[in-house]
Amino acid sequence: MDKFSLYVPNFLPCKEYFDPKKNNACPGCGIALAVRHTYKAVEKLIEKAVWETPSGGELFGSKTDVSLLKIKQGKTEVIICLDNEAGGSLQDAIKKQMPAIAAAEGFKYVATASPSYPFDLYDKMKKALETEGKSYIHILCPCPVGWQFEPETTVKVGRWAVESRAFSLYEVGSGFYNQTVKTLKPRQLSDYIKAQERFSEVTDEQLAEASTAVEKEYSKLLENIQPE
Amino acid sequence: MEVTSKFSKKMMECSLIEKGAAKPFMPGDRRKALPEWDKDRCIRCGLCYIYCPDGAVYRTDDGFFEADEKMCKGCGICHRECWFGSISMVEEE
Repeated sequence: MDKFSLYVPNFLPCKEYFDPKKNNACPGCGIALAVRHTYKAVEKLIEKAVWETPSGGELFGSKTDVSLLKIKQGKTEVIICLDNEAGGSLQDAIKKQMPAIAAAEGFKYVATASPSYPFDLYDKMKKALETEGKSYIHILCPCPVGWQFEPETTVKVGRWAVESRAFSLYEVGSGFYNQTVKTLKPRQLSDYIKAQERFSEVTDEQLAEASTAVEKEYSKLLENIQPE
Repeated sequence: MEVTSKFSKKMMECSLIEKGAAKPFMPGDRRKALPEWDKDRCIRCGLCYIYCPDGAVYRTDDGFFEADEKMCKGCGICHRECWFGSISMVEEE
């Protein structure tokens, strides 16, 4: 029996490639959760994968402190960016430029993902591995230590990032532009921002500015998405 | 070096200055609480398994779930994500 015969995980293979003994992640690490589901999708290819930090601390022209996972097989090349917003400001938290730049730079498949939506992440990883040419996946991983929230709320905070439209889940490929998780009834942005202790000094004016910026970004995204 | 379950006890004996000094410790040695499943409430959906960052939750033969004592770091995500409140975090010494 290769798959679970249960209600929730019967879309995922039960074999684990991620070895928790070999990492020293904190309790409730979002990166560990994202990597675990990435490994499930990548399977045996993971032995050839390379961990990197972007050269010069720059990725697509913007300064970041992220870790990259690069997988190469034949013509397929997948770059997975695990973004935990280390040292990020409020502006970085509500606006992600890297996926848009990657899409403009001629990547064949670009997607954003979150470990709070594991099946979505798994499907996108499988799609990237099937695409010929370069593909880029940006994963927003909540970090309980850096963002300063309780470790048990990692998945909840990741979900609120999507629900408040601060981090939209979409995919861009040749001939399609889809929003994979639709947020028809958005959550207040202040819920997501105030859940993180690092933004405890953010004033109401800054929050109002941020929410208008988020709405602007979201309407830009909606313009690109093809009506079904 | 023999591995014990209590991290603080070992911390007294060794200094983590040398490279690789933390190797004898297992991920679960720093844990404060361990999840416990209430089998009357559990519907065996598997959400706890999906959201465990360390892959510590595994399925037993009868279809229920349990946490690996050596791997679980006690983050409490399974306790928070369980829809039916069947998981409680039991504090350890």
